[in-house]
Amino acid sequence: MSDPIPLSSVTSRVAGRRQPLLDGIEKVTGRARFTADLPAANALTGAILTSPMAHAEIVRIDTSRARALPGVRAVITGEDCDVPFGILPIARNEYPLARDKVRYWGEAVAAVAADDAKTARAALELIEVEYRALPVYTTAAEARAEGAVLLHRDKPGNIEREVGNSFGDVEAGFAAADLVREQSCHYSEVAHAQMEPDCTLADFDPESGRLTLQSVTQVPYYVHLTVAECLKMDPASIRVVKPFVGGGFGHRTETLPFEIIAALLARAAAGTVKLQLTRAQTFTIHRARPETDIRLKIGMKRSGEITAVDAEVVQRGGAIAGYGIITILYAGALMHALYRLPAARYRGFRVYTNTPPCGPMRGHGGVDMRHAFDGLLDAMAGELGLDAFAVRRANLITPPYRTINDLQINSCGLPECLDWVEQASGWRARKGKLPRGRGLGLGCSHFISGAAKPVHWTGEPHATVNLRLDFDGSITLLTGAADIGQGSSTLLAQIAAEALGLELSRFRVVSADSAITPKDNGSYSSRVSLMVGNAALAAAEELRRHLVAGAARKLEARPEEVECLADGYRVIGTERVVAYHDAVHAALETTGPITTRGTYTVPRELQGGKYRGAGVGPSPAYSYAAQVVEVAVDEDTGEIKVEKIWVAHDCGFAINPLAVEGQVQGAVWFAMGQALSEETEFRNGMPMRANLLDYRVPTIAESPPIEVKIVEARDPSGPYGAKEASEGAVGGFGPALASAVAEAIGIRMQGLPLSPDRVLEAIHARRRNERLKAALKDTR
Amino acid sequence: MELLPEFVVRHAETPQEAARLLAGDAGARILAGGTGLVANMRLGLDAPSVLVSLDRVKGFRDVTELGGVLRLGAGVTLSRLATDADVGRWAPALAAAAATVAAPAHRSAATLGGNLCLDTRCVFYNQNETWRHSIGYCLKYRGDLCHVAPRGKRCHAAYSGDLAPVLLVLGAEVEIAGPGGVRRAPLGALYRDDGAQHLALARGEFLAAVLVPAARHGTRVAYRKARVRGAIDFPLAGVAVALEIEDGRVRDLRVALTGTNPCPLLLAGTGEFRGQAPDRALLDKVAKLVQRQASPQRTTVTSSNYRRQVAAAIARRVVSELAVPG
Repeated sequence: MSDPIPLSSVTSRVAGRRQPLLDGIEKVTGRARFTADLPAANALTGAILTSPMAHAEIVRIDTSRARALPGVRAVITGEDCDVPFGILPIARNEYPLARDKVRYWGEAVAAVAADDAKTARAALELIEVEYRALPVYTTAAEARAEGAVLLHRDKPGNIEREVGNSFGDVEAGFAAADLVREQSCHYSEVAHAQMEPDCTLADFDPESGRLTLQSVTQVPYYVHLTVAECLKMDPASIRVVKPFVGGGFGHRTETLPFEIIAALLARAAAGTVKLQLTRAQTFTIHRARPETDIRLKIGMKRSGEITAVDAEVVQRGGAIAGYGIITILYAGALMHALYRLPAARYRGFRVYTNTPPCGPMRGHGGVDMRHAFDGLLDAMAGELGLDAFAVRRANLITPPYRTINDLQINSCGLPECLDWVEQASGWRARKGKLPRGRGLGLGCSHFISGAAKPVHWTGEPHATVNLRLDFDGSITLLTGAADIGQGSSTLLAQIAAEALGLELSRFRVVSADSAITPKDNGSYSSRVSLMVGNAALAAAEELRRHLVAGAARKLEARPEEVECLADGYRVIGTERVVAYHDAVHAALETTGPITTRGTYTVPRELQGGKYRGAGVGPSPAYSYAAQVVEVAVDEDTGEIKVEKIWVAHDCGFAINPLAVEGQVQGAVWFAMGQALSEETEFRNGMPMRANLLDYRVPTIAESPPIEVKIVEARDPSGPYGAKEASEGAVGGFGPALASAVAEAIGIRMQGLPLSPDRVLEAIHARRRNERLKAALKDTR
Repeated sequence: MELLPEFVVRHAETPQEAARLLAGDAGARILAGGTGLVANMRLGLDAPSVLVSLDRVKGFRDVTELGGVLRLGAGVTLSRLATDADVGRWAPALAAAAATVAAPAHRSAATLGGNLCLDTRCVFYNQNETWRHSIGYCLKYRGDLCHVAPRGKRCHAAYSGDLAPVLLVLGAEVEIAGPGGVRRAPLGALYRDDGAQHLALARGEFLAAVLVPAARHGTRVAYRKARVRGAIDFPLAGVAVALEIEDGRVRDLRVALTGTNPCPLLLAGTGEFRGQAPDRALLDKVAKLVQRQASPQRTTVTSSNYRRQVAAAIARRVVSELAVPG
């Protein structure tokens, strides 16, 4: 293990500077073009016919009348693609258009490309589909019931994956505990609700046989691979470009059916097809956090030290595999690595149901478990007379530390995070002394900085960055990493500029165009800062060698005698200087323009253990966060007002503190939606809230002040010590809110969201109980 | 994004012309702010062939005071209602209620008339065409089954305008223009207790203006609503109260609800409270009255029980706040 790379000694350091995002001006001025805004004057309009039933066999599809309609250029059905796809090579059971049966309401059944939207819609109405209804299961319990019809023939009991693992001596741990408590919690399903609805622009050139896709994706490379497989095309004939993307949060972390449908339509119509989904359809693509039930048991010493954990998680996964196996594994794996756990048992069930496919969502797999875990921790601490901070401090990890499930932790700033939120929130003076209806709560959380084993584990580097230098002196950073608003392009440029000792203004970033940029796995699992950042650093160091060598030749010195200034090079300790442009010329004069390459691969020892499922959880580094939430609860209406949030996040090293603060605020705010008001709902498989009125994302009216503290426990694996910054603070909000509400109304609520109707019901139940107790007392 | 169906916009110069245009085509609709109508059109809930704009009709967007009455043209925007000095003086509770509707962008376009004539809402109705088609439509639109109460023959879609309850407790009247001229009626007479057809307007008729009488000296009025979010959301339940206290006793108490029934509802029976002290017993009675007359059904994703409970809780709170000037 090595120490983080030292930062440049130059006073105008680029890494660590509060840098407005490089693409910020284009976005706020409206110049940025998102997929739906791309020029597409000659594009045909694509449209999808979706299933009106949540579970049914497809008996017959007749598209002849639609094909005969003037202006219709292509009609496709499940017949047109027989290649199943899915993000995990071991779990591919989705088709872009349903074949044989439909498994959720809104699943794509047929698609058309037509001259205009009106014709496309008319064509959809002319497609006849005959269904034979099957029983609809919208809960995990219904789907798991004896005799339930199987959604997928090869998955008995409608179980996609059952996880069972145990580390340490769990029974001995419970036997050694002074207090053992168990609780069950229920979590509603939530959705990403990213601002930009789904859209793909697909262009097929019949002369060259080449396909160009522009799409809303977080993972252009996976889209590239999947479209090639589903269309049985050579990937070299496909180009994937990611335009500006209006948010992802996990919605776009795998190839989505409409992206393949657009490609199929473009090829069938031998032209360009724009396929733009409605908000309702975007909700139905889904891929977000599943409805979850958690039963959790913790054993604790009087000191607050955890002795053992036993957890069972059931996730309603929806109709398709997707990321399901990963999510159910994360729910178990991420119980670890926040606190010291000497023994833990985990059982997880990922269940197929007739609801839209779930998938990864900011805080992937860990969020609901974190609510259950930190909530139970607080409840038990209360019984033992321990403060919320004390019980957490009794279980802190001191790095280097290897968890019992083989996660390697080499940095942990949680103690500093706790100290800051305790002090900033005035916890000691205020906790327990607030007026009725007010409360403070604490929550902690953590996250990986990229999955050590990518979903497509083929052994190649995790990340590659190219830096291109030409005679004009400009440097172009080429990366396949998708900037989806999180600021990754700016961050990579800052890393490269820092390593080269140059100003940011010399850099351009070209992101995610498969014809130009090197393959990258994409923006998910908070991997970009650390993994792509390291690749950028390596590419910059290589370029720096070229430039320094050129400068050294000009200065008639040895390269190790030369130092970088922001606009030139100097022989150390002398006044002998060469200007940047002269050094560039010297560096390129024999070779012509050069492109350097940097890669990053996660070292073996950080790739986790050997047991089944061990690939999910390991990361080169873990971020940590603590937050205190203050609430006011209206006991007449059940409304919760979040008054203030203090959050500290350990991101290793903040390459761009301005962006880190934004990401941390975003993480907390995102979690607030799930905790307060967001939920999907299905009745007989029909989505009841697939719109932005009934799917209640908080508005600015609900947005409290969020005070952010950046903690920097530099990690030896990160570029300049950096770790992730956008997911770590998600998990702590739910439990912090629940504990704050528990103080305010005297009830610890078992699950999320804490919507006003649920809170009021709990208050009324408490009052009935109090009345009952009083009555019993009177009769005695 | 769903395409809008094709339509023609006609600009009426006079109320008579507007009435004629409306009467002449069963598919004609009034276009004012469009915040309700266009959303419904995008969902395929309405496909009017003709939209009749009243923008050129004299007085449509005016606020005028005459003879102890404040006349509000139906085209006055909600943002104007919220900020207009005359409205603020005459009926501050109306201005306050207008300021809580939807979000600022909506309010800058949405109008008083549109809010009063707001279509009723239901989770089985305010969905897209594909969705509604999947369930065979509903009693309110194209179908013959109410999915909220499948055994009944009534539509339970709920009215959720914020201004009507305030205007009801203020005793407002409306001017209804039609082919036969303008008629005047109490605001309550604009509504019917039927979610599928909640406006008592004959073909060709439209709401032209609202007349707000001056409140009696000492009458205090307030409106409050429950909703999950502090912006955008329609009220799950809203309560307006007008209370006049004389010598420590109730002289007049009026309570109106929105969000709970197919039309805004001025509660019956509040006259009995005359002469009572504004104490806890009175609050209990008011809450009971609300619980009895509010009739929320499963028309929202939030439970009907919550809406009933919270309507009563809000009524209790508003009455108690008005009774003790603070």
